[in-house]
Amino acid sequence: MYKSIDDINERIRDGSVRVVTAEEMPDIVDELGVSGALREVDVVTTGTFGAMCSSGAFLNFGHSEIPIRMEKMWLNGVEAYGGIASVDCYIGATQESTTKGIEYGGAHVIEDLIAGKAVELQARGKGTDCYPRQSITNEFTLADLNQAVMLNPRNSYQCYNAATNMGGRPIKTYMGYLLPGHRNITYSGAGALSPLPNDPTFSVIGSGTPIFLGGANGTVVGEGTQHSPGAGFGTLMTTGDMKEMSPEYIRAASMTGYGVTMYVGVGIPIPLLNEEIVKHTAVRDEDIVTSIVDYGTPMRDRPVVRKVTYKELKSGSVEIDGEEIKTSPLSSYKKAREVANELKARVENGSFLMACATREINAVKKNRPMSEHGVVRRVSEMMTSTFVTITGEKNVKEAATLLLKGNTNHLPVIAAENRLIGIVTTYDISKAFARDEEDKCVSDIMTRNVITALPDEPVDLAARRLQQHNIGALVVVDPAKKVLGMLNSYALGDLVGERWHQ
Amino acid sequence: MKLMVTFDREGVLEANIANAILKSGVPVNVERAQIDGDDGWTLLDVADDKAEKFIAALRHPGVTVRIQKDAVSHNITECVDCGLCISICQKQVFSFNDSWQLQVNSERCVLCGRCVMYCPQRALTLQQ
Repeated sequence: MYKSIDDINERIRDGSVRVVTAEEMPDIVDELGVSGALREVDVVTTGTFGAMCSSGAFLNFGHSEIPIRMEKMWLNGVEAYGGIASVDCYIGATQESTTKGIEYGGAHVIEDLIAGKAVELQARGKGTDCYPRQSITNEFTLADLNQAVMLNPRNSYQCYNAATNMGGRPIKTYMGYLLPGHRNITYSGAGALSPLPNDPTFSVIGSGTPIFLGGANGTVVGEGTQHSPGAGFGTLMTTGDMKEMSPEYIRAASMTGYGVTMYVGVGIPIPLLNEEIVKHTAVRDEDIVTSIVDYGTPMRDRPVVRKVTYKELKSGSVEIDGEEIKTSPLSSYKKAREVANELKARVENGSFLMACATREINAVKKNRPMSEHGVVRRVSEMMTSTFVTITGEKNVKEAATLLLKGNTNHLPVIAAENRLIGIVTTYDISKAFARDEEDKCVSDIMTRNVITALPDEPVDLAARRLQQHNIGALVVVDPAKKVLGMLNSYALGDLVGERWHQ
Repeated sequence: MKLMVTFDREGVLEANIANAILKSGVPVNVERAQIDGDDGWTLLDVADDKAEKFIAALRHPGVTVRIQKDAVSHNITECVDCGLCISICQKQVFSFNDSWQLQVNSERCVLCGRCVMYCPQRALTLQQ
């Protein structure tokens, strides 16, 4: 049995359409079988409500008397991109306020506009014959704009990694606050209620597919940026009229220590055209597998701690190394349900029709990492291998002599086989002298918790560590803690200079 | 239950908590404290059935005891029920009910403020 889009639209128009949410579908398929479900149900609605950083809007202000070409502009102090045409801009959700930082950003401007609040525009132009004006300050509301078109380059991930932190210090990420030693796990996405897991082959979702976006009836533009369905990480580019949106479904958010983002409600109806589609919409949380990855490793290829299903993630805890670790979502399942139910109501009441996609979305391609042509400088290239060390039983005075002789501020303290056990700096030595402690042992005054680097680490990571700990040098060690060299902050200074002159 | 004990200048001069423990024989858990020469506060956890006895023993000039109930204030208009706070809080103040709505059990709160800091919607505040 097959159904056409026209058949389904006919039923929507005459009020006989049968719509269920993706949450209800698996049980229906279990009960009626695939062909039974196809006969019984016409449309499955999906929904998700999560942080979708890659969101924003095109705004058109119309021309002022004494026209201006707005090249640089700020909305409530948030810079919008003005390099489009005279009176248009794109405001990105993650752009931060010049004065309020992450407490107010592009997403907040968008939410304020949708809520009907007035927003202040400040703009500058160089002044030309046709656009003589050079600056403007004005207040406007969403109603004053000619167009306010939300255009989100990357929304509605098919699936997203869950995050934990295997490292030793807490980290602040776009996946929220991650406690050290994998004490919590965060995840995003509504699992089996999310749009793309219900059509992983993109058999109905494509360019032109009508969707629910932020409360408006919107459209899929095509594949989203970073689209990688071959790896289970498809994304969509979406658009909709901001004037039809509601703050119920578009919410600005600030991730402390990371930045601004926007919670977006996206719902996609899946018209059940054939049995293949019915099978896909029968997906359950236990069928959707993702990886828990270690965000404590600040590299592109983060280590996978283990694989996990959305069923486990949603249960509230997941086992790692025999320990039950608490999980929490950062997307809202309650709001995802509201999206799917609101979309269901719109299809049922005839205000939302199905349509064929005008262009297919590639269902197999894989995202590529940046093709980097520059050379990644490693710690081993920037470190100095001529360094002096001391043993713990030597006294402070001997340490001072060594520092002077070695013309250095940092003296790694070693045990047998060059194994690092501590560090003394000129500061420690001065302190000891000031307190008349020059006869003390080095091991009594040394710092035991030494900040180190590995030789094959990218130098940028080491530089960030120097900054975070507010120190002048890192001891470069091998995995057995054997001292290999020193990475001094002035070596990194040379690197920065070198980059600027390239 | 949790007791918020505040001390004024007179209150910080004596070992009020130690005295109250000795006098009442009730063990308490000091969960947080910030006390200096002029004033201060501490958050104590005490078994519900022994709280009355302990509070009576703690009564002293310069010491104010309050049973802490609504430590976390939850703005349900701002909250989108994402639940990010749930795993951030190791004291299990937050949970979902059956309809994935955020529930706040303030009585478990030790006022660390982490949830307030990391709520993406800034929907949580601490009341002291």
